Amino acid sequence: MTRSRIIAVALMAAAALTVTGCSATDTPSDGAVTITFWGSYGNGGNSTQQDALNDVLIPAFEAEHPDIHVEYVDIPYDSLLQKLTTSAAGDELPDLVRADLGWVPQFAELGVLVPLSQEMEDFDELAEATYPGVLATNFYEGEYYGLPLDTNTRVMVSNQAALDAAGLSAPPATFDELRALADAVKGTGAYAFAENKLQAWNIMPWIWSAGGDIADSDLTTSTGYLDSDESVAGVQLLVDLYEEDAIPNLIVGNEGATATSDGLPGGQYATILDGPWMRGVWSGQYPDFDPVYSTIPAGDGGSVSVVGGEDIVLTQSSANRDAAMEFIRFTQSELFQIEMVKTGQMTVIPAFAGQQNEIEPFYATFASQLETAKNRLAIPDAAKVDAILQEELVPAFEGTISVKQALANAAAAIDPLLPGAK
Amino acid sequence: MTTLPTPLAPAGPAPELDSGAGPAPRRAGRSDPSAGRRGTTRPPRTAARAKLTPYLFLAPGVLLFAVAILYPITQAVTMSFFDWKVIASATSEFVGADNYVRAFNDDRFWLALANSGIYMLLTVPPQIAIGLAVAVLLKRRSPAQPVFRALYYLPVVTSWVVVSLLFKYLFADAGLINFALGDVLHVTDGDTSWLANRWTALLAICALGVWKGVGWSMMIFLAALQGVSRSLEEAAIMDGANRWQQFRAVTLPSIWPAMLFVVVMLVIGGFNVFTSVLVMTGGGPGGQTEVLLTYMYQQAFEFLDFGYGSALSVILAIVVFVLAVVQLRVFRDRSGEAYA
Repeated sequence: MTRSRIIAVALMAAAALTVTGCSATDTPSDGAVTITFWGSYGNGGNSTQQDALNDVLIPAFEAEHPDIHVEYVDIPYDSLLQKLTTSAAGDELPDLVRADLGWVPQFAELGVLVPLSQEMEDFDELAEATYPGVLATNFYEGEYYGLPLDTNTRVMVSNQAALDAAGLSAPPATFDELRALADAVKGTGAYAFAENKLQAWNIMPWIWSAGGDIADSDLTTSTGYLDSDESVAGVQLLVDLYEEDAIPNLIVGNEGATATSDGLPGGQYATILDGPWMRGVWSGQYPDFDPVYSTIPAGDGGSVSVVGGEDIVLTQSSANRDAAMEFIRFTQSELFQIEMVKTGQMTVIPAFAGQQNEIEPFYATFASQLETAKNRLAIPDAAKVDAILQEELVPAFEGTISVKQALANAAAAIDPLLPGAK
Repeated sequence: MTTLPTPLAPAGPAPELDSGAGPAPRRAGRSDPSAGRRGTTRPPRTAARAKLTPYLFLAPGVLLFAVAILYPITQAVTMSFFDWKVIASATSEFVGADNYVRAFNDDRFWLALANSGIYMLLTVPPQIAIGLAVAVLLKRRSPAQPVFRALYYLPVVTSWVVVSLLFKYLFADAGLINFALGDVLHVTDGDTSWLANRWTALLAICALGVWKGVGWSMMIFLAALQGVSRSLEEAAIMDGANRWQQFRAVTLPSIWPAMLFVVVMLVIGGFNVFTSVLVMTGGGPGGQTEVLLTYMYQQAFEFLDFGYGSALSVILAIVVFVLAVVQLRVFRDRSGEAYA
């Protein structure tokens, strides 16, 4: 073959590959529709949730709806947001997404989500069955863009051996007891408490428990709330312990420090705050570790934690909205909710809570913590709020500015992001 | 693209296509009528077709360049003048130079730019010095030479993410570096939180950059050293030059073009540091080790502020471009001196 022929053939082959690479089809040969569902159930190296979905729930749904195929695509949590963003730009989103509840306003603002409260006739009925606090994370400018899928909250998790070494029988139940623990662990080689970051998810439990808040209820101002004496008291507790060397520098973003998920079972950290999914992670990696769960130490505002979880949303890219909404209804069913309870997800439907605590008594602490748990700011700029908190609070921990000053700086930066101020 | 093979395919085994890059004089000869008559049964190639040939050869490269480089650049420049909405159907608001004004008033931008610059300054000289030294050592023929060449080059072809994670563990609080410095050498207490402080974290990131980059500059220098004239070296020896004098007077001027290439590429690479920072510190603590590209990434992909992110990348492109032009100028003058 001559050189020119080779070039011609190579070019044609390249062109052919390019063309076929773009032509994925949505309709299988048997006439059924396929809906695609993206999520991060496989997060944390633990496949039990993904297995429950793929082996139990999706087959059950498909048996009931032979004309619908559900294809679940697992995406690591850390890259899901970026993948959603680039897919949104290319109009290549899947039908359904299991989205972190913090992302829903952000994507609703972009206009890529279908307002379920308009589209689903039975939306009100489904919505009323869920916890109102979790449902509220789907609300953006007068409409609901999703339904709660699962919920969780953070509680205090302790290493009994580390508590014993410090001479404590029970985990600290108040701010003062945590300070006492910090004194008691000195010399035992353990830190009293450890935290990964300084974002809303990490520090709001301390601010709320101290009686403070991040903004007023109408979301008009953060100044006056985030820098109030109560909010300062919550952060000051952590800063004091940090200065006493009772909290490791992991909290200011030292990527080289031992992560809380390893430090607690390893006995370097006596206490941390974490969610119900950690049980599955630890049972695999630290089978001998027996974590102790208790409610968050109470301050002047009580014991208040932060609501987490995921919502299921329908995208504007979906070509099969009816089939997708049928799957959304299925996620609110007893079968789906209870099956996920068995894998470490807490139900979003209070009617199933009793059943949940029977299956797993360990949920009782989380369920009682959820009763008073609060939402983070449900605004499109929630990611910026997290970055602001992290960046403004580090200097307070490093001792270069006061906690009051750091929180005032953060509040001033958050003010313009609040919808009530715009 | 589909039209490309058509004019080429029927041309058959045209001999001028085999002559590679410099066929211009011969092709001119071909279009001469007398030359055409020499071709036996095949009809003479028309002048138009002959003129088309080089463009057809250029087309795939140009097309690829236009699609993969030129289009994204123009798109990024356009986006930087808008409050860019990521969704195609949404209308983006034209904001003029607002994104650029914002960058110049943004302390975090200046911190990120400074960190990128510090990384560049701390990684380029060691990569050149060590790369050149290793290349000079490996120049001598020995049975072990290919092994060492491959070993030094290995980090270059290893994934950034993998080696960044590796260095993150090396520099972790309970990592090998602390163990070596504290328990083995007793230089420190062994409890340095390398990644918790701006300067020590940048040092760790730079260490990775140098380790990973030395093999590349070594390879370029090794190739350049093969081209150093043997007769010049022998003349220097005859003149009684010692090793160092030989190196300064003969070797260095001979590899000056390679030096220019390495410096320009390393400076560009230095400003483009991204993966190692993202993986090793995530820009922390509190954004103090943020470099320009991680800051740009945060603005664009975490905050979906693509207009501002684009403006930051355009600024980076301008900085790199200006630096490259300055270096080319400086080096051209110097190389003139060296050869004179």
